[in-house]
Amino acid sequence: MTAHAHGDDLEHEEDDRGGASDEHMAHLGTYALGLVLATGLTIASFWVAKTHLIYDPGVPMALATLAVAQMGIHLVFFLHLTTAPDNTNNILALAFGLLIVGLVIFGSVWIMDHLNHNMMPMQQIMQMQR
Amino acid sequence: MLGKLSWSAIPFDQPIPLIAGAVVVLLMLGALALVLAKGWMPYLWKEWITSVDHKRLGIMYVLLGLLMLLRGFIDAIMMRAQQAVAYHAQGYLPPEHYNQVFSAHGTIMVLFAAMPLVIGLMNFVVPLQLGVRDVAFPTLNSVSFWLTATGALLVNISLVVGEFARTGWLPYPPLSELRYSPGVGVDYYLWAVQISGIGTLLTGINFVTTILKIRAPGMTYMRMPMFSWTALASCLLILAAFPVLTATLAMLTLDRYLGFHFFTNEAGGNAMMFMNLIWAWGHPEVYILVLPAFGIYSEVISTFSGKPLFGYRSMVAATLFICVVSFMTWLHHFFTMGAGGDVNAAFGISTSIIAVGTGVKIYNWLFTMYGGRIRFTTPMLWSMGFLTTFITGGLTGVLLAVPPADFILHNSMFLVAHFHHVIVAGVVFALLAGIEFWWPKAFGYRLHEGWGKATFWFSIVGFYVTFMPMYVVGILGMTRRLQHYDVAEWHWWLQISSVGVLILIVAAGCQVAQLLVSYIRREELKDITGDPWNGRTLEWVTTSPPPVYNFAVLPQVIDTEYYWELKQRAFEQARLSEEPKYEAIEMPRNSPTGFVCAFFATIIGFALIWHIWWLMIVGLIGAYATFVVFAWRDVPEYMIPADEVAQQDRARRAARQHILNTGEVAWQ
Repeated sequence: MTAHAHGDDLEHEEDDRGGASDEHMAHLGTYALGLVLATGLTIASFWVAKTHLIYDPGVPMALATLAVAQMGIHLVFFLHLTTAPDNTNNILALAFGLLIVGLVIFGSVWIMDHLNHNMMPMQQIMQMQR
Repeated sequence: MLGKLSWSAIPFDQPIPLIAGAVVVLLMLGALALVLAKGWMPYLWKEWITSVDHKRLGIMYVLLGLLMLLRGFIDAIMMRAQQAVAYHAQGYLPPEHYNQVFSAHGTIMVLFAAMPLVIGLMNFVVPLQLGVRDVAFPTLNSVSFWLTATGALLVNISLVVGEFARTGWLPYPPLSELRYSPGVGVDYYLWAVQISGIGTLLTGINFVTTILKIRAPGMTYMRMPMFSWTALASCLLILAAFPVLTATLAMLTLDRYLGFHFFTNEAGGNAMMFMNLIWAWGHPEVYILVLPAFGIYSEVISTFSGKPLFGYRSMVAATLFICVVSFMTWLHHFFTMGAGGDVNAAFGISTSIIAVGTGVKIYNWLFTMYGGRIRFTTPMLWSMGFLTTFITGGLTGVLLAVPPADFILHNSMFLVAHFHHVIVAGVVFALLAGIEFWWPKAFGYRLHEGWGKATFWFSIVGFYVTFMPMYVVGILGMTRRLQHYDVAEWHWWLQISSVGVLILIVAAGCQVAQLLVSYIRREELKDITGDPWNGRTLEWVTTSPPPVYNFAVLPQVIDTEYYWELKQRAFEQARLSEEPKYEAIEMPRNSPTGFVCAFFATIIGFALIWHIWWLMIVGLIGAYATFVVFAWRDVPEYMIPADEVAQQDRARRAARQHILNTGEVAWQ
């Protein structure tokens, strides 16, 4: 679905159409850099999974770190999230989203973990008491 | 060829749904025949069905909501009647039908009555309050509305073709899994809610964008009217919560259609996860409904007390506080699931804390009224009825938030009494107040006060008589959703409760009478100036009903309650501000996209429910083609010439000048 643009959005559209080619090239540069970084991180995660250089139990943590970095790259280079004043809404939206996702995931894991603990089959409880 | 669909899907052996369905179908055919015979179809198509005007969409949302409110109310009457007679007896409803009735009642009331009414008022009011011409994505808005209507249509088709879910308004597994609910009832629920849920999510996107990005020049956040603030908070909650609902129902759908095991008993499924996830949506949903309701009360109380809203900033803070904390309380819906003392204590405390935000609001409303010159109009009566009733309803909620108490009251009629107490007094009263309040803005005439007051008094008395006995039977040990019972102590209370329903039927009759009487006497109730209540916010600047472009010239906001200041200055100086320079206005063209999309969505939903795969593919292709056609259109806008704008606005100014000359204001 396309948007019916009002006021300043319309002006933006015109800017894009008549936009200078310099700006275009700069855009292309950041996209290329983003692609390189994203690919690098992807390769790195495959490498981490295979290598023995990292202490084995630490591998999931390393993968998680790389995944978070990957999200950061996507947000900055492809979704153009910056700290500029015109980006305040986007940053706030991201913060709100992270907060809610965090609350729901953390809450669910916490609830289900306690539930599973309380609802453990009798046999396991007996074993724990030994 | 037709999947699971056959003649056996039509309940020829059950007279109640069959007769009800036949009456509805006849009424619809009659309405259609009338429209065609009178030649109204082109008008309806051009001005309403394809309209992308937020005001028209708002009105259609409210109409849908009122119709579904009536449908849900009929379900309620049936349940109360069943429980009044089913003492030591089977009652008149067979169990499987009774189970469908209470499931449909909850689903319809929350998702297809309250939600469309709330979203409808947001649609109508928010762009006017923000002083702008339309929402950010007008065509998307129309898509949202028609998808919601699709959901409502599917639920109502289930009355005649097949069956509805028997699982309660939230389809808890394992009961809702294929093994225990092999029929199409749960599928009707799933696809109706999924399709309308997409519509709701799109509304959320649309209004968050509108409120954050499109406001009149000078309308900073802290100058936004309270209703717009609550609409923003509500839409933020929609954005955060509805994807959870969609994902949860999608998992249940995968279980039912493709043999997955998310929530089954076997193969590692976990039904408890469904309760957890559905309430992670379900609790914020409560606040999606009640926050805009609080916004309506804020506008009504401030207007009819003749004072600015007390503690505007604390009101904004309380709204946003509730917006965030509503995501931290969902476990209180299943304290008894067995997560243990630690978890229950944490969620019990957070549930009690969220009442603080609401408490702040209650005091602000009281202080707004304090020292004001209160006009006891119908919207104000609803608001005051809300204040007194909602406080006690909230207190029973705080009682339920205490886990040990909840272990006794969980799933009892006490709970049923509590949530009807807060939803009816909180949301339904607000919606009726809001409709009453903004009706003159929408249609150009006020509603009849006498019938409105009758509606209010019958409603509030009927409400107490219906729901207070439920608290008692709840404490006496009655669980919810009982088809029959044999406890003598409950019987009398349940009969009192059905007397309450009779009073509510009278109230509903008064409400219908009010609409009819007001329409007939619309000339004498006419709102000439566009400001019938001595309003304080920008929607009262423009005419009633507003022109399609809302404002001839966008207001330059320089203050909170800017319109109020402007009006006072006009009265002091006994003249209007200078005539502005009029310019041509660009407005979005109407588009049948929403209607056609929803037509195909209905086909897709129906085909999926009955496993008619070829029809589903046809529907998907049609919906995609609609989108492509829309994306390809060349001329999305049209211009309204400056002359026309000037002519219409001069008429508005003349009406207002007349007030200044004669001093005859509508509100005294």
